Amino acid sequence: MIKLILTLAAGAGMASAQWLNYPTAGIPRTRDGKPNLSAAAPKMADGKPDLSGVWMADGQTYFFDLAAGLKPEDVVMLPWAKELQQKRIDNEHGDDPLSRCLPHGVPRVNTNGLFPFKIVQTPGLVVILYEQMNLFRQIFLDGRTLAKDLNPTWLGYSTGRWDGDTLVIETSGLNGKAWLDTQKSRPATDALRVTERFRRTNFGTLEVVATINDPKTYAKPWTTTTQKMFLQLDTDILEFICNENEKDLPHMPVGK
Amino acid sequence: MNLWPLVLLATTASAQWINYPTPGIPRTPDGKPNLAAPAPRTADGKPDLSGLWEPAARGADPQFTDIAKNVAGGLPFQPWAADLVKARRADLNKDDPDGHCQPLGLVKMHLHPYPRKMIQIPGLLLILFERNTTYRQIFLDGRPLPEDPQPGFNGYSVGKWDGDALVVESTGFKDGLWLDISGTPLTDAAKVTERYRRWNFGNLEIDITVDDPKAYTKPWSIQVNQTIAPDTDMLEFVCQENEKDVPHLVGK
Repeated sequence: MIKLILTLAAGAGMASAQWLNYPTAGIPRTRDGKPNLSAAAPKMADGKPDLSGVWMADGQTYFFDLAAGLKPEDVVMLPWAKELQQKRIDNEHGDDPLSRCLPHGVPRVNTNGLFPFKIVQTPGLVVILYEQMNLFRQIFLDGRTLAKDLNPTWLGYSTGRWDGDTLVIETSGLNGKAWLDTQKSRPATDALRVTERFRRTNFGTLEVVATINDPKTYAKPWTTTTQKMFLQLDTDILEFICNENEKDLPHMPVGK
Repeated sequence: MNLWPLVLLATTASAQWINYPTPGIPRTPDGKPNLAAPAPRTADGKPDLSGLWEPAARGADPQFTDIAKNVAGGLPFQPWAADLVKARRADLNKDDPDGHCQPLGLVKMHLHPYPRKMIQIPGLLLILFERNTTYRQIFLDGRPLPEDPQPGFNGYSVGKWDGDALVVESTGFKDGLWLDISGTPLTDAAKVTERYRRWNFGNLEIDITVDDPKAYTKPWSIQVNQTIAPDTDMLEFVCQENEKDVPHLVGK
Protein backbone atom coordinates (compact mmCIF):
# COMPACT_ATOMS: atom_id res chain seq x y z
CA MET A 1 0.00 0.00 0.00
CA ILE A 2 2.80 2.41 0.94
CA LYS A 3 4.63 1.48 -2.26
CA LEU A 4 1.50 2.35 -4.27
CA ILE A 5 1.19 5.74 -2.57
CA LEU A 6 4.84 6.48 -3.24
CA THR A 7 4.42 5.53 -6.89
CA LEU A 8 1.34 7.76 -7.20
CA ALA A 9 3.20 10.63 -5.54
CA ALA A 10 6.14 10.15 -7.88
CA GLY A 11 3.75 10.09 -10.86
CA ALA A 12 2.12 13.36 -9.84
CA GLY A 13 5.55 14.96 -9.49
CA MET A 14 6.59 13.84 -12.96
CA ALA A 15 3.48 15.24 -14.68
CA SER A 16 4.04 18.77 -13.42
CA ALA A 17 5.81 21.61 -15.26
CA GLN A 18 7.16 20.61 -18.66
CA TRP A 19 9.31 17.59 -19.36
CA LEU A 20 12.07 18.67 -17.01
CA ASN A 21 11.43 15.66 -14.82
CA TYR A 22 10.33 13.02 -17.32
CA PRO A 23 12.41 9.85 -16.92
CA THR A 24 14.75 9.08 -19.78
CA ALA A 25 14.08 5.64 -21.27
CA GLY A 26 16.75 2.97 -21.58
CA ILE A 27 19.18 4.06 -18.88
CA PRO A 28 21.25 1.16 -17.54
CA ARG A 29 20.82 0.83 -13.80
CA THR A 30 22.72 -0.66 -10.89
CA ARG A 31 21.09 -3.28 -8.72
CA ASP A 32 19.64 -0.62 -6.39
CA GLY A 33 17.95 1.14 -9.31
CA LYS A 34 20.33 4.08 -9.66
CA PRO A 35 21.45 5.14 -13.16
CA ASN A 36 24.74 3.50 -14.10
CA LEU A 37 26.47 6.15 -16.13
CA SER A 38 29.74 4.21 -16.27
CA ALA A 39 28.06 1.34 -18.11
CA ALA A 40 29.29 0.71 -21.63
CA ALA A 41 28.27 3.15 -24.36
CA PRO A 42 25.27 1.86 -26.34
CA LYS A 43 25.43 0.88 -29.99
CA MET A 44 23.11 1.31 -32.94
CA ALA A 45 21.66 -1.68 -34.80
CA ASP A 46 24.51 -1.40 -37.34
CA GLY A 47 27.11 -1.77 -34.58
CA LYS A 48 28.21 1.86 -34.60
CA PRO A 49 28.35 3.76 -31.28
CA ASP A 50 25.09 5.52 -30.47
CA LEU A 51 25.71 9.11 -29.45
CA SER A 52 22.01 9.89 -28.96
CA GLY A 53 21.03 11.71 -25.80
CA VAL A 54 20.76 15.04 -24.07
CA TRP A 55 24.28 16.28 -23.32
CA MET A 56 25.84 19.33 -21.75
CA ALA A 57 29.40 20.64 -21.63
CA ASP A 58 31.06 20.38 -18.24
CA GLY A 59 31.16 24.06 -17.28
CA GLN A 60 32.07 26.96 -19.53
CA THR A 61 35.85 26.64 -19.65
CA TYR A 62 36.05 26.15 -23.43
CA PHE A 63 33.23 28.61 -24.04
CA PHE A 64 35.39 31.30 -22.41
CA ASP A 65 38.69 30.02 -23.82
CA LEU A 66 38.70 27.38 -26.55
CA ALA A 67 42.47 26.93 -26.10
CA ALA A 68 42.14 26.09 -22.39
CA GLY A 69 44.93 23.74 -21.34
CA LEU A 70 47.10 24.44 -24.40
CA LYS A 71 50.50 26.13 -24.26
CA PRO A 72 50.77 29.68 -25.68
CA GLU A 73 52.99 28.44 -28.53
CA ASP A 74 50.23 26.03 -29.63
CA VAL A 75 47.94 28.82 -30.85
CA VAL A 76 49.79 31.24 -33.13
CA MET A 77 47.64 34.12 -34.33
CA LEU A 78 48.64 36.21 -37.33
CA PRO A 79 49.26 39.88 -36.48
CA TRP A 80 45.91 41.21 -37.79
CA ALA A 81 44.10 38.62 -35.70
CA LYS A 82 46.02 39.44 -32.54
CA GLU A 83 45.14 43.09 -33.03
CA LEU A 84 41.48 42.30 -33.53
CA GLN A 85 41.43 40.00 -30.53
CA GLN A 86 42.89 42.73 -28.31
CA LYS A 87 40.34 45.26 -29.57
CA ARG A 88 37.54 42.85 -28.72
CA ILE A 89 38.95 42.20 -25.24
CA ASP A 90 39.40 45.96 -24.62
CA ASN A 91 35.75 46.38 -25.57
CA GLU A 92 34.79 43.71 -23.00
CA HIS A 93 33.62 41.48 -25.88
CA GLY A 94 30.60 43.75 -26.36
CA ASP A 95 30.53 43.10 -30.11
CA ASP A 96 30.08 39.37 -29.74
CA PRO A 97 27.50 38.32 -32.36
CA LEU A 98 26.22 35.74 -29.89
CA SER A 99 25.01 38.56 -27.63
CA ARG A 100 23.03 39.84 -30.61
CA CYS A 101 21.18 36.56 -30.91
CA LEU A 102 23.29 35.36 -33.83
CA PRO A 103 24.54 31.77 -33.88
CA HIS A 104 27.72 30.70 -32.06
CA GLY A 105 29.46 29.04 -34.95
CA VAL A 106 31.41 25.80 -34.75
CA PRO A 107 32.82 24.45 -32.42
CA ARG A 108 31.74 27.13 -29.93
CA VAL A 109 28.13 25.95 -30.21
CA ASN A 110 29.04 22.81 -28.24
CA THR A 111 30.92 24.54 -25.47
CA ASN A 112 28.47 26.52 -23.35
CA GLY A 113 27.84 24.43 -20.27
CA LEU A 114 24.76 26.43 -19.29
CA PHE A 115 22.64 24.92 -22.06
CA PRO A 116 22.14 21.29 -23.10
CA PHE A 117 22.00 19.94 -26.63
CA LYS A 118 20.38 16.80 -27.96
CA ILE A 119 22.01 14.41 -30.40
CA VAL A 120 19.56 12.49 -32.59
CA GLN A 121 21.42 9.80 -34.52
CA THR A 122 20.15 7.97 -37.61
CA PRO A 123 22.37 5.87 -39.93
CA GLY A 124 22.90 8.51 -42.63
CA LEU A 125 22.37 11.67 -40.61
CA VAL A 126 23.24 12.93 -37.16
CA VAL A 127 21.23 15.93 -36.03
CA ILE A 128 22.25 18.09 -33.09
CA LEU A 129 19.53 20.26 -31.52
CA TYR A 130 20.92 23.13 -29.44
CA GLU A 131 18.81 24.65 -26.69
CA GLN A 132 20.74 27.92 -26.81
CA MET A 133 19.32 29.87 -29.76
CA ASN A 134 17.04 26.94 -30.72
CA LEU A 135 19.31 25.89 -33.58
CA PHE A 136 20.13 22.62 -35.30
CA ARG A 137 23.09 21.21 -37.18
CA GLN A 138 22.94 18.39 -39.69
CA ILE A 139 25.95 16.11 -40.03
CA PHE A 140 25.65 13.95 -43.13
CA LEU A 141 27.07 10.43 -42.89
CA ASP A 142 25.82 9.28 -46.30
CA GLY A 143 29.13 9.67 -48.10
CA ARG A 144 28.52 13.08 -49.65
CA THR A 145 31.52 15.37 -49.85
CA LEU A 146 31.76 18.97 -48.78
CA ALA A 147 31.03 21.08 -51.86
CA LYS A 148 33.40 23.74 -53.10
CA ASP A 149 32.17 27.32 -53.30
CA LEU A 150 29.86 27.08 -50.34
CA ASN A 151 27.38 29.80 -49.47
CA PRO A 152 28.92 30.93 -46.13
CA THR A 153 26.85 30.27 -43.01
CA TRP A 154 27.13 30.53 -39.23
CA LEU A 155 27.09 26.80 -38.57
CA GLY A 156 28.70 25.55 -41.75
CA TYR A 157 28.18 22.34 -43.68
CA SER A 158 29.18 19.13 -41.95
CA THR A 159 29.98 15.60 -43.03
CA GLY A 160 30.85 12.79 -40.67
CA ARG A 161 32.52 9.39 -40.79
CA TRP A 162 33.41 6.76 -38.23
CA ASP A 163 37.02 6.22 -37.22
CA GLY A 164 36.67 3.22 -34.94
CA ASP A 165 34.47 4.42 -32.11
CA THR A 166 35.01 8.09 -32.89
CA LEU A 167 32.69 10.20 -35.01
CA VAL A 168 34.89 12.55 -37.05
CA ILE A 169 32.99 15.62 -38.26
CA GLU A 170 34.40 17.95 -40.92
CA THR A 171 32.87 21.38 -41.24
CA SER A 172 33.51 24.15 -43.71
CA GLY A 173 31.53 26.92 -45.39
CA LEU A 174 31.67 28.98 -42.19
CA ASN A 175 31.17 32.71 -42.61
CA GLY A 176 34.05 33.91 -40.41
CA LYS A 177 31.72 36.15 -38.42
CA ALA A 178 31.35 33.93 -35.36
CA TRP A 179 33.92 34.21 -32.58
CA LEU A 180 35.72 31.06 -31.48
CA ASP A 181 35.32 31.87 -27.80
CA THR A 182 34.07 34.53 -25.42
CA GLN A 183 36.58 35.98 -22.95
CA LYS A 184 39.45 35.26 -25.35
CA SER A 185 37.39 36.58 -28.30
CA ARG A 186 39.40 34.66 -30.87
CA PRO A 187 38.68 35.49 -34.50
CA ALA A 188 38.34 33.28 -37.55
CA THR A 189 37.69 33.83 -41.23
CA ASP A 190 35.72 32.05 -43.91
CA ALA A 191 38.80 29.94 -44.56
CA LEU A 192 38.10 28.10 -41.31
CA ARG A 193 37.71 24.34 -41.41
CA VAL A 194 36.87 22.57 -38.18
CA THR A 195 37.33 18.90 -37.40
CA GLU A 196 35.44 17.67 -34.35
CA ARG A 197 35.98 14.26 -32.86
CA PHE A 198 33.14 12.92 -30.70
CA ARG A 199 33.75 9.77 -28.64
CA ARG A 200 31.28 8.32 -26.16
CA THR A 201 33.63 6.79 -23.60
CA ASN A 202 30.85 5.33 -21.45
CA PHE A 203 27.11 5.63 -21.11
CA GLY A 204 27.22 9.04 -19.47
CA THR A 205 30.30 10.71 -20.99
CA LEU A 206 31.07 12.21 -24.38
CA GLU A 207 34.60 13.45 -25.10
CA VAL A 208 35.00 16.13 -27.74
CA VAL A 209 38.14 17.46 -29.33
CA ALA A 210 38.18 20.13 -32.07
CA THR A 211 40.89 21.08 -34.56
CA ILE A 212 40.90 24.67 -35.83
CA ASN A 213 42.40 25.03 -39.28
CA ASP A 214 42.28 28.62 -40.56
CA PRO A 215 45.46 29.63 -42.40
CA LYS A 216 44.18 33.20 -42.81
CA THR A 217 44.08 33.61 -39.00
CA TYR A 218 46.40 31.04 -37.39
CA ALA A 219 49.93 30.19 -38.50
CA LYS A 220 49.22 26.49 -37.98
CA PRO A 221 46.22 24.31 -37.12
CA TRP A 222 45.62 23.76 -33.44
CA THR A 223 43.65 21.17 -31.53
CA THR A 224 41.79 21.73 -28.28
CA THR A 225 42.35 19.67 -25.19
CA THR A 226 39.61 17.14 -24.41
CA GLN A 227 36.28 18.62 -23.50
CA LYS A 228 33.87 16.46 -21.54
CA MET A 229 30.11 16.48 -22.07
CA PHE A 230 27.87 14.71 -19.56
CA LEU A 231 24.56 12.98 -20.22
CA GLN A 232 21.62 14.88 -18.76
CA LEU A 233 19.03 12.50 -17.31
CA ASP A 234 15.28 12.81 -17.05
CA THR A 235 15.13 16.13 -18.81
CA ASP A 236 14.93 17.68 -22.25
CA ILE A 237 15.93 20.79 -24.12
CA LEU A 238 13.66 23.80 -23.62
CA GLU A 239 12.58 26.45 -26.06
CA PHE A 240 14.95 29.44 -26.05
CA ILE A 241 14.11 32.42 -28.23
CA CYS A 242 16.93 34.92 -27.82
CA ASN A 243 15.30 37.86 -29.58
CA GLU A 244 12.00 37.63 -27.73
CA ASN A 245 11.65 40.76 -25.59
CA GLU A 246 15.37 41.45 -26.03
CA LYS A 247 16.39 44.39 -23.83
CA ASP A 248 20.14 44.06 -23.37
CA LEU A 249 21.42 45.53 -26.61
CA PRO A 250 21.25 49.21 -25.58
CA HIS A 251 23.41 48.36 -22.56
CA MET A 252 26.18 46.58 -24.46
CA PRO A 253 29.58 48.33 -24.39
CA VAL A 254 30.25 50.08 -27.69
CA GLY A 255 33.62 50.18 -29.40
CA LYS A 256 36.05 52.85 -28.28
CA MET B 1 -0.08 44.71 -48.30
CA ASN B 2 1.66 41.40 -48.00
CA LEU B 3 4.69 41.90 -45.80
CA TRP B 4 6.23 38.47 -45.73
CA PRO B 5 8.20 38.79 -48.99
CA LEU B 6 10.24 41.50 -47.22
CA VAL B 7 11.73 38.99 -44.85
CA LEU B 8 12.52 36.35 -47.44
CA LEU B 9 16.22 36.05 -47.97
CA ALA B 10 17.07 35.74 -51.64
CA THR B 11 19.52 32.83 -51.58
CA THR B 12 21.14 31.79 -54.80
CA ALA B 13 21.36 28.13 -55.72
CA SER B 14 25.15 27.92 -55.52
CA ALA B 15 26.93 24.63 -55.13
CA GLN B 16 26.10 23.38 -51.64
CA TRP B 17 23.80 20.41 -51.30
CA ILE B 18 21.03 22.16 -53.17
CA ASN B 19 21.37 19.59 -55.95
CA TYR B 20 22.63 16.49 -54.14
CA PRO B 21 20.53 13.40 -54.90
CA THR B 22 18.65 12.23 -51.82
CA PRO B 23 19.53 8.61 -50.95
CA GLY B 24 16.74 6.06 -50.71
CA ILE B 25 14.14 7.79 -52.91
CA PRO B 26 12.16 5.42 -55.15
CA ARG B 27 12.88 6.28 -58.78
CA THR B 28 11.39 5.54 -62.18
CA PRO B 29 13.59 3.81 -64.80
CA ASP B 30 14.78 7.22 -66.07
CA GLY B 31 16.07 8.13 -62.60
CA LYS B 32 13.38 10.65 -61.69
CA PRO B 33 11.91 10.51 -58.19
CA ASN B 34 8.75 8.38 -58.19
CA LEU B 35 6.41 10.42 -56.03
CA ALA B 36 3.54 7.99 -56.65
CA ALA B 37 5.38 5.04 -55.10
CA PRO B 38 3.81 3.70 -51.91
CA ALA B 39 4.57 5.51 -48.66
CA PRO B 40 7.56 3.95 -46.90
CA ARG B 41 7.23 2.24 -43.54
CA THR B 42 9.47 1.97 -40.51
CA ALA B 43 10.64 -1.37 -39.11
CA ASP B 44 7.61 -1.51 -36.80
CA GLY B 45 5.22 -1.27 -39.75
CA LYS B 46 4.12 2.31 -39.19
CA PRO B 47 4.14 4.86 -42.02
CA ASP B 48 7.42 6.76 -42.17
CA LEU B 49 6.86 10.50 -42.46
CA SER B 50 10.58 11.22 -42.88
CA GLY B 51 11.54 13.46 -45.76
CA LEU B 52 12.04 17.03 -46.89
CA TRP B 53 8.59 18.58 -47.38
CA GLU B 54 7.30 21.81 -48.86
CA PRO B 55 3.84 23.22 -49.54
CA ALA B 56 2.17 21.50 -52.49
CA ALA B 57 1.54 24.96 -53.97
CA ARG B 58 5.36 25.47 -54.26
CA GLY B 59 5.64 28.77 -52.43
CA ALA B 60 3.63 29.48 -49.35
CA ASP B 61 0.51 27.43 -48.73
CA PRO B 62 -2.41 29.68 -49.81
CA GLN B 63 -3.67 29.57 -46.21
CA PHE B 64 -0.47 31.30 -45.04
CA THR B 65 -2.01 34.66 -45.91
CA ASP B 66 -5.50 33.79 -44.67
CA ILE B 67 -6.00 30.58 -42.76
CA ALA B 68 -9.78 30.86 -43.15
CA LYS B 69 -9.49 30.72 -46.94
CA ASN B 70 -11.15 27.31 -47.25
CA VAL B 71 -13.34 27.42 -44.13
CA ALA B 72 -16.95 27.64 -45.26
CA GLY B 73 -18.65 30.54 -43.50
CA GLY B 74 -15.37 31.84 -42.10
CA LEU B 75 -13.94 31.25 -38.63
CA PRO B 76 -16.22 31.11 -35.56
CA PHE B 77 -14.60 34.12 -33.90
CA GLN B 78 -15.34 35.42 -30.46
CA PRO B 79 -16.21 39.09 -31.06
CA TRP B 80 -12.91 40.42 -29.68
CA ALA B 81 -10.95 38.08 -31.95
CA ALA B 82 -12.82 39.23 -35.08
CA ASP B 83 -12.15 42.85 -34.10
CA LEU B 84 -8.47 42.07 -33.56
CA VAL B 85 -8.05 40.63 -37.04
CA LYS B 86 -9.78 43.68 -38.55
CA ALA B 87 -7.48 46.01 -36.59
CA ARG B 88 -4.34 44.09 -37.61
CA ARG B 89 -5.30 44.11 -41.27
CA ALA B 90 -6.07 47.85 -41.09
CA ASP B 91 -2.58 48.39 -39.70
CA LEU B 92 -0.94 46.42 -42.55
CA ASN B 93 -0.06 43.52 -40.23
CA LYS B 94 2.98 45.48 -39.06
CA ASP B 95 3.20 43.47 -35.85
CA ASP B 96 3.33 40.09 -37.60
CA PRO B 97 5.91 38.19 -35.53
CA ASP B 98 7.38 36.90 -38.80
CA GLY B 99 8.49 40.41 -39.70
CA HIS B 100 10.23 40.65 -36.31
CA CYS B 101 12.09 37.37 -36.67
CA GLN B 102 10.04 35.74 -33.93
CA PRO B 103 8.98 32.09 -34.07
CA LEU B 104 5.73 31.46 -35.92
CA GLY B 105 4.33 28.57 -33.91
CA LEU B 106 3.50 25.12 -35.20
CA VAL B 107 0.39 25.97 -37.23
CA LYS B 108 1.84 28.82 -39.26
CA MET B 109 5.04 26.86 -39.77
CA HIS B 110 3.06 24.18 -41.66
CA LEU B 111 2.00 26.90 -44.09
CA HIS B 112 5.37 28.64 -44.46
CA PRO B 113 6.99 28.44 -47.91
CA TYR B 114 10.43 27.22 -46.79
CA PRO B 115 11.15 23.49 -46.68
CA ARG B 116 11.08 21.45 -43.50
CA LYS B 117 12.69 18.07 -42.85
CA MET B 118 10.82 15.45 -40.85
CA ILE B 119 12.92 12.79 -39.15
CA GLN B 120 11.02 9.93 -37.60
CA ILE B 121 12.75 7.62 -35.12
CA PRO B 122 11.21 5.39 -32.44
CA GLY B 123 9.73 7.67 -29.79
CA LEU B 124 10.25 10.96 -31.63
CA LEU B 125 9.17 12.86 -34.71
CA LEU B 126 11.61 15.69 -35.22
CA ILE B 127 10.90 18.54 -37.60
CA LEU B 128 13.79 20.74 -38.75
CA PHE B 129 12.76 24.04 -40.36
CA GLU B 130 14.78 26.02 -42.84
CA ARG B 131 13.03 29.13 -41.56
CA ASN B 132 15.31 30.37 -38.81
CA THR B 133 17.22 27.06 -38.68
CA THR B 134 14.99 25.87 -35.88
CA TYR B 135 13.29 22.64 -34.81
CA ARG B 136 10.21 21.14 -33.20
CA GLN B 137 9.95 17.88 -31.25
CA ILE B 138 6.86 15.67 -31.23
CA PHE B 139 7.20 12.91 -28.64
CA LEU B 140 5.86 9.49 -29.62
CA ASP B 141 7.06 7.68 -26.49
CA GLY B 142 3.74 7.65 -24.63
CA ARG B 143 4.47 10.54 -22.31
CA PRO B 144 1.45 12.65 -21.33
CA LEU B 145 1.19 16.33 -22.15
CA PRO B 146 2.70 18.37 -19.32
CA GLU B 147 0.42 20.02 -16.76
CA ASP B 148 1.11 23.71 -16.12
CA PRO B 149 3.93 23.95 -18.66
CA GLN B 150 6.11 26.96 -19.25
CA PRO B 151 4.37 28.52 -22.30
CA GLY B 152 6.20 28.35 -25.61
CA PHE B 153 5.76 29.39 -29.23
CA ASN B 154 5.53 25.74 -30.30
CA GLY B 155 3.90 24.43 -27.16
CA TYR B 156 4.42 20.79 -26.25
CA SER B 157 3.45 17.98 -28.57
CA VAL B 158 2.74 14.27 -28.11
CA GLY B 159 1.62 11.89 -30.84
CA LYS B 160 0.26 8.40 -31.34
CA TRP B 161 -0.83 6.31 -34.31
CA ASP B 162 -4.44 5.87 -35.30
CA GLY B 163 -4.13 3.32 -38.08
CA ASP B 164 -1.98 4.99 -40.71
CA ALA B 165 -2.56 8.50 -39.37
CA LEU B 166 -0.30 10.12 -36.78
CA VAL B 167 -2.46 12.11 -34.36
CA VAL B 168 -0.60 14.84 -32.48
CA GLU B 169 -1.95 16.89 -29.57
CA SER B 170 -0.31 20.14 -28.52
CA THR B 171 -0.88 22.53 -25.63
CA GLY B 172 1.20 24.99 -23.64
CA PHE B 173 1.21 27.81 -26.17
CA LYS B 174 2.16 31.30 -25.15
CA ASP B 175 -0.53 33.89 -25.69
CA GLY B 176 -0.62 36.13 -28.73
CA LEU B 177 0.46 33.82 -31.56
CA TRP B 178 -0.56 34.64 -35.14
CA LEU B 179 -1.92 31.77 -37.23
CA ASP B 180 -1.47 33.60 -40.54
CA ILE B 181 -0.35 36.91 -42.02
CA SER B 182 -3.81 38.37 -41.42
CA GLY B 183 -3.27 38.05 -37.68
CA THR B 184 -5.78 35.32 -36.89
CA PRO B 185 -5.15 34.76 -33.18
CA LEU B 186 -4.23 31.75 -31.06
CA THR B 187 -4.41 32.10 -27.28
CA ASP B 188 -2.80 30.24 -24.41
CA ALA B 189 -6.04 28.31 -23.95
CA ALA B 190 -5.58 26.57 -27.29
CA LYS B 191 -5.33 22.86 -27.93
CA VAL B 192 -4.21 22.00 -31.45
CA THR B 193 -4.66 18.57 -33.00
CA GLU B 194 -2.80 17.52 -36.16
CA ARG B 195 -3.46 14.38 -38.20
CA TYR B 196 -0.57 13.49 -40.51
CA ARG B 197 -1.25 11.08 -43.35
CA ARG B 198 1.37 10.23 -45.96
CA TRP B 199 -0.80 8.75 -48.66
CA ASN B 200 2.01 7.97 -51.10
CA PHE B 201 5.73 8.57 -51.27
CA GLY B 202 5.47 12.16 -52.42
CA ASN B 203 2.40 13.48 -50.63
CA LEU B 204 1.56 14.41 -47.07
CA GLU B 205 -1.80 15.60 -45.84
CA ILE B 206 -2.03 17.39 -42.50
CA ASP B 207 -5.45 18.07 -40.98
CA ILE B 208 -5.22 20.72 -38.27
CA THR B 209 -7.97 21.36 -35.72
CA VAL B 210 -7.80 24.44 -33.50
CA ASP B 211 -9.78 24.21 -30.26
CA ASP B 212 -9.34 27.61 -28.58
CA PRO B 213 -12.43 28.65 -26.61
CA LYS B 214 -10.90 32.03 -25.64
CA ALA B 215 -10.81 33.14 -29.29
CA TYR B 216 -13.39 30.93 -31.05
CA THR B 217 -16.88 29.77 -30.22
CA LYS B 218 -16.13 26.24 -31.43
CA PRO B 219 -13.23 24.19 -32.86
CA TRP B 220 -12.44 24.56 -36.55
CA SER B 221 -10.23 22.68 -39.01
CA ILE B 222 -8.11 23.18 -42.10
CA GLN B 223 -6.21 20.82 -44.39
CA VAL B 224 -2.62 21.38 -45.45
CA ASN B 225 -1.02 19.56 -48.39
CA GLN B 226 2.71 19.14 -48.74
CA THR B 227 4.88 17.37 -51.28
CA ILE B 228 8.33 15.87 -51.09
CA ALA B 229 11.21 18.12 -52.20
CA PRO B 230 13.64 15.55 -53.63
CA ASP B 231 17.36 15.86 -54.30
CA THR B 232 17.89 19.03 -52.34
CA ASP B 233 18.30 20.19 -48.75
CA MET B 234 17.61 23.09 -46.44
CA LEU B 235 19.81 26.17 -46.35
CA GLU B 236 20.73 28.07 -43.24
CA PHE B 237 18.45 31.04 -42.62
CA VAL B 238 19.12 33.43 -39.74
CA CYS B 239 16.35 36.02 -39.85
CA GLN B 240 17.93 38.49 -37.42
CA GLU B 241 21.25 38.73 -39.32
CA ASN B 242 21.57 42.19 -40.87
CA GLU B 243 17.86 42.76 -40.29
CA LYS B 244 16.84 46.10 -41.85
CA ASP B 245 13.09 45.86 -42.34
CA VAL B 246 11.75 46.56 -38.85
CA PRO B 247 12.09 50.38 -38.99
CA HIS B 248 9.89 50.31 -42.10
CA LEU B 249 7.09 48.29 -40.53
CA VAL B 250 5.06 51.30 -39.45
CA GLY B 251 1.53 50.50 -40.52
CA LYS B 252 -0.77 53.24 -41.72
